[in-house]
Amino acid sequence: MSRHMWQVFLYELKRNVRRKGFLFATFGIPLIGYALFFGYQFITNLNDRGAPSSPALEILQSSQFQGITKAGYVDLSGHFADPGDLSRLLIPYADEASAQAALQAGSIDVYYVIAPDFLETGDVALYMPQFTLTKATDWPIRQLVLRRLASGLDRDTYARLLNPVQLREINLQRDATGATETNFDADFAIVYVFALALMLSVFITNGYLMQTVIEEKETRLIEVLISGMRPTHLLAGKILALGLLGLAQIVVWVAAILLLARLAAGSAAPALAVLANFALPPTTLIVLLLYFVFGYLFFAAAYGIVSAVSSSMQEGPQLAVIFTLPAVIPLYFLPVFISAPDGPLAVALSLIPVTAPLSMVMRVSLIAVPAWQIVLSLALLAVIDGFLIWLAGRVFRVGTLLAGKTPKLRDLPKLVRG
Amino acid sequence: MSQQVAIQAEHIVKNYGDFRAVDDLTFEVYAGEVFAMLGPNGSGKTTTMRMILDILKPDAGRIAVLGGPLNDAAKDRIGYLPEERGLYRNVRVLEMMVYLATLKGVPRAEAERRSLAILERLELSEYARKKVNELSKGMQQKIQFAVTVLHQPDLIIVDEPFSGLDPVNTLALKDLLMEFRAGGGTVVMSTHQMWQVEEMCDRLLMIHRGRQQLYGPVDDIRKRYALHAIIVEGQGDWAKLPGVQRVELTENGRRRALLHLQDAATPDEVLAAITAAPDMTIERFELAVPSLNDIFIRVVEEHR
Repeated sequence: MSRHMWQVFLYELKRNVRRKGFLFATFGIPLIGYALFFGYQFITNLNDRGAPSSPALEILQSSQFQGITKAGYVDLSGHFADPGDLSRLLIPYADEASAQAALQAGSIDVYYVIAPDFLETGDVALYMPQFTLTKATDWPIRQLVLRRLASGLDRDTYARLLNPVQLREINLQRDATGATETNFDADFAIVYVFALALMLSVFITNGYLMQTVIEEKETRLIEVLISGMRPTHLLAGKILALGLLGLAQIVVWVAAILLLARLAAGSAAPALAVLANFALPPTTLIVLLLYFVFGYLFFAAAYGIVSAVSSSMQEGPQLAVIFTLPAVIPLYFLPVFISAPDGPLAVALSLIPVTAPLSMVMRVSLIAVPAWQIVLSLALLAVIDGFLIWLAGRVFRVGTLLAGKTPKLRDLPKLVRG
Repeated sequence: MSQQVAIQAEHIVKNYGDFRAVDDLTFEVYAGEVFAMLGPNGSGKTTTMRMILDILKPDAGRIAVLGGPLNDAAKDRIGYLPEERGLYRNVRVLEMMVYLATLKGVPRAEAERRSLAILERLELSEYARKKVNELSKGMQQKIQFAVTVLHQPDLIIVDEPFSGLDPVNTLALKDLLMEFRAGGGTVVMSTHQMWQVEEMCDRLLMIHRGRQQLYGPVDDIRKRYALHAIIVEGQGDWAKLPGVQRVELTENGRRRALLHLQDAATPDEVLAAITAAPDMTIERFELAVPSLNDIFIRVVEEHR
């Protein structure tokens, strides 16, 4: 490393690590995450303590029910004359006229009319004074029907009828021994968290890279700097410093997630309980690291080019979208990645350099990706990285001097030639 | 030439697309002199400076700086102050100065010592630990100049160093500049303020549309543009004097007059004639050498 590169590296490291934005993103985001998690747990515990034991009443307290405090019903089918233990909530009326009168008097919120041929058709009409989303529910009448039809069943059978299957998925592709359970929600969460952490960190630190370059352009300090050193050394020093900060950020985040998982080990929250059993195999960790480094370099060079040709902090991020938008394409196909992590789309996206970092990180956190795919994908990414860094160096030299005007597309070959 | 040469440019050319910004310039800057680069806006001064600094590569021609093509070691011996300038906004003054000096190879502790010393010289000591954006524009400009000389370079290239400064700050900066020169440093500066060139600079290069218009010692150039005339103030009938071809009264016909001389006459003869004449008194007598400002305007008008 040349003396200048080293000096720029040290200085940018010192300068950017003190940024409020960086400190907030690195430590504040995990802290907020912890606060939300423990806050949620605390409230859940409070609710659990006050919860009644009867399954019927649990259902009645369902949040979907909150719009209605009292409902009337007219049973034309003759099967549901007695509301039973729902009488606090459901009041039977002999005919529609009396139900309507009660509605107008305000003693009920809505009323249902059960059709004469209900058992065959399931037809129920809901009458409400005006349309209100929270009141447009079939819950009270559904409870009445379920209770009547299932009367005589024991509690377990009743519960099974309501929720017949608890599916547990064993993904043999992920673990040939079949010992690893998978859970769609947990997989989703893990993949999402890793992909998001990688992209966030890459975008945050490269955003700073762009800010420092554009600030130097706006203040013309860039001329003083590159009158004393090679532009490529300046860019490289910045890229290395911010890359290290990005890596540190990811390490803090992953440590925070793993710590949370340990803390959550005894908790009742199901997604986090799965996370507790989740341990990153060292090889996966290495692959994640490699993709961070190569992915970071890709975007650093891209942002370097963009900041060299943009004249203001308003313009830079707009131009950067050319690179960032394709990079997050894999997120749109998240369900595809989870259901078919070895499918053609997932494989293709993990080989194309711009989408490779995100795609491969998602795949390796789900399955054992064949080594040749990782090697090929990394090799392609490295080649593109090399090209973009070379291009950034060329464009940087001339582009940085163009203060106040953005070059047109047709000027780009000229910029490259220097 | 016996003098040591700090910069030697030979037939340098720079094009921006179809536009030729610098067109076949050849000049030398001697070590230890203050060299002025003059020209209207857009004449190619900044491009020339950037080529000297190796920020831009000339399309043709050759530039030698401090004894050869510019390499990394030689770059540490140069200071540069660009025209539209600034500093990192959110950084403390001292930190900024130390960083830029260490980039030029000054050890950290030494850079800090020198920064504090120069801040004191500029009466800015109390701002050492303030952020750059808390400083006025004039203060920032003084600090930028301080940064330019902090690493004790052999050559400084300053683009419009006095623009936007009030007279007091201009004087402070001028003192620093002349002190740098007295220490053996070479200065290349561009400016629009011609009286400063007359006052400070040894030689000049005037560029218009990328081409050389004037080049040489400031005094020689002024003399070259001198009229065969003298300016006098006093009493008497100037037209009667021997050797005077024509009298031009200036400044609304007040006492000052411009005396155009006959080809064979010399100013000395005219002065002798005035002192010999009993009915003439004289309060001022000088050669009609135009100011650089007049020369500048004339050259630009001629090439319009």
